[in-house]
Amino acid sequence: MKRALGIAIAIVIVVVLGALGWFVVLAPGPLDFAGGQTVPLAEYKEANPTGVPGALANAGLIERGEYLAQAGDCAACHTVKGGKPFAGGFAFKLPFGTLYSSNITPDKETGIGAWSDADFLKAVHQGVAPDGTRLYPAFPYAAYTLMTDEDVLAIKAYLFSLPPVRAATPPNTLSFPFNQRWLMAFWSAFFNPNERYRPNTAQSAEWNRGAYIAEAMGHCGDCHTPRNPMQAMDHRRKFMGAVAAGWKAYNLTPDKETGVGAWSDETLAKFISTGHVEGYGTASGPMGEAIDNSLRHLKPEDIKALVVYLRTVPPISDPALPAPRTALASASPKDGTAEADARGAELFAGACVSCHGWTGKSPVLAIATFTGARAVNDPSARNVAQAIVWGVTRETPSGPAVMPAFGHAYSNTEIAAIANYVTKRFGAVPSAITADQVAELRGQASQ
Amino acid sequence: MITLTINGESKQLDVTEDTPLLWALRDVLGMTGTKFGCGIAQCGACTVQVDGQAVRSCMLPVGAIGEGSKITTIEGIGATDAGARIQKAWLDLEVVQCGYCQSGQIMSASALLAATPQPDDKDIDAAMAGNICRCGTYVRIREAIKKAAGVA
Repeated sequence: MKRALGIAIAIVIVVVLGALGWFVVLAPGPLDFAGGQTVPLAEYKEANPTGVPGALANAGLIERGEYLAQAGDCAACHTVKGGKPFAGGFAFKLPFGTLYSSNITPDKETGIGAWSDADFLKAVHQGVAPDGTRLYPAFPYAAYTLMTDEDVLAIKAYLFSLPPVRAATPPNTLSFPFNQRWLMAFWSAFFNPNERYRPNTAQSAEWNRGAYIAEAMGHCGDCHTPRNPMQAMDHRRKFMGAVAAGWKAYNLTPDKETGVGAWSDETLAKFISTGHVEGYGTASGPMGEAIDNSLRHLKPEDIKALVVYLRTVPPISDPALPAPRTALASASPKDGTAEADARGAELFAGACVSCHGWTGKSPVLAIATFTGARAVNDPSARNVAQAIVWGVTRETPSGPAVMPAFGHAYSNTEIAAIANYVTKRFGAVPSAITADQVAELRGQASQ
Repeated sequence: MITLTINGESKQLDVTEDTPLLWALRDVLGMTGTKFGCGIAQCGACTVQVDGQAVRSCMLPVGAIGEGSKITTIEGIGATDAGARIQKAWLDLEVVQCGYCQSGQIMSASALLAATPQPDDKDIDAAMAGNICRCGTYVRIREAIKKAAGVA
C-alpha cells in the first residue's frame, strides 16, 4: 500500500516536472522560430524597428503615442462599444467568471491620472500596478514587454492628453483560485521574460519592423496562437489559429490550405489593412474590430513589414479546416437544398439572401460576399453563428457597414439551422452545429 | 457625378458614391414610388431591379452599380412583360391592402416571373420571403403570381 502510494506520488512529481519542463523551461519564445543572432536595440546597425514609421518621423510626442496606441490596439479592450474612449469596463467572459478592463484615462481616482512614468512602464512591461497588485494576462503585458520605454511613454503621453473620464472599473467576479491575483507573480515569472525587443541580425530591417508590430504592438498571437494549460501562448503552434472571445481566430501561418500561404502579398496586405478582399471574405467579430481600431490606421510601410514578417512564420496546418471553396453557389435556391435543410433555407430566404445572395456573391455590398471566406468554410460554423447572433459592424473606406444582430430575433435552434445551411451552401464542408452549442457561443463572446 | 440608367433613361446625379440608391431615387430624383421601410435590407419595401435582379436599394451604394447596369423601379416596371402581367394580376385579385410594401412586392414578383416563368410554391417562397407585409396579403400575393404566370 505504502509502496503504491510512493509510486503514485513519484508519477505525479514526474508529470508535473515534465509539464513544467515542456511548457516553461523548454518552451520557445515568440520570435525563436527565426533563428539567427539577436542583439540589444542599441547595438543594432540597421533602421530602427521600433517607434513610429518614417511617415511620422517629425510627429510630436502625442501624435506618435496615438499611432502606437492604435498599433497596440489599446481601444480593443479599454473602450466599450458606445462608451467613452479608454474608460474601461469591457467584460471578458471567462469559464471561471468575468474580468473587466480598467479605466486608462487620466482621471486621478478611477483612471491612471496619478501614475508616474515608472508606474506606467511597470504595468505595461511587467503587469504590476503601482500598488503592487498583479494584473491578469488578459492585459497582454507578455507581448507589450517587448516595447521600448520610449514607445510606452509616448502612449502614456497620448493617453494623458485625453479628457479624464470618471468611471470606476466594475469588480471582477472570478472564482477561487483565479481571484488570487498574487498567483500571477508565478505566471509572470514563467511566461513574461520582461525583456525589450532584440532585433534579429539574420533578418532584414523590414522583417524586424514587422516583428515589432506583430509581437510588441499588435499582439496577434494573443488570439491567433493556441494556449498551453497555463493560458500562456504555445509558440510551438505559433499563429496556427485558436479560439478567443468565442470566435475562431484563423491560421496566419503560410500553410497553403488552412493558412494564408496561398494569398498574394497584395491580398494579405489589403485584408490586414481593410478587413476585406473579394474572394477571401470579410473580417468580423474581434478581427473586424482589430482592423477598425488598429490595423486600418497603420501606414502602408508598416503593413508591408507585417506581411514580410508573417511570411516567415513556420507553416502549420489547422486540422479543423478544409481548403476554402472559391466557387460561387448556384443561383437557384432549389439547388443544394435538401428536405433536411428546409428550416435553414426558409430563414436564409427571409433574412439573409437580400444581402448575401443565393450564390454567396452579394447583390448590394462587396463586404457581404461569402465566397472564399474562412468562416463559411469552417465546419464548426462557430464564426457564422457568432456573426448571426451579434451582427457585424465595420468601418469601411466608404463609411460604416452593418449586418444586424439576429441574436434576439431567432432561437438557438433557428440560428443553428441557418449556420448549417450557410456552411453547406457556400463552404467546402457542411457543419452540424447544434442549438446547445449556439447557446454556449452566446455566453463566450466578450463585450 | 454619378450616371445611372433608370427605367431606360440616363440620369446624372450629384451624390457621393456611398449614397444608397434609395436615397438617390427618393430624395434626389423625386421618384417616391420606391419606399423606405427598415433601412437594413430586412423588409423588402425598397426593392428595385438591377439588370433584372431584385435588389434592396436601401443597402446598395450607387457607386457599386456598374455604369452599364439597367435599373428598373416601380415607376417603370409596367413597361416590362413580366411587370405588366404582375400588375394586372395584382389589380384583378385586389392584392393591395394598405399598399406600403406593395411596390417592393411587385418588383420581387416581377423579377421572379421573368427568371422563372412557371414558379411553384417553393420558388415563390424563396423569392418572396424577404418581402414583408404587415397587412398579411401573402395569400393573395401567391395567388396573383400564379395567375400572372398562368399556373393558377
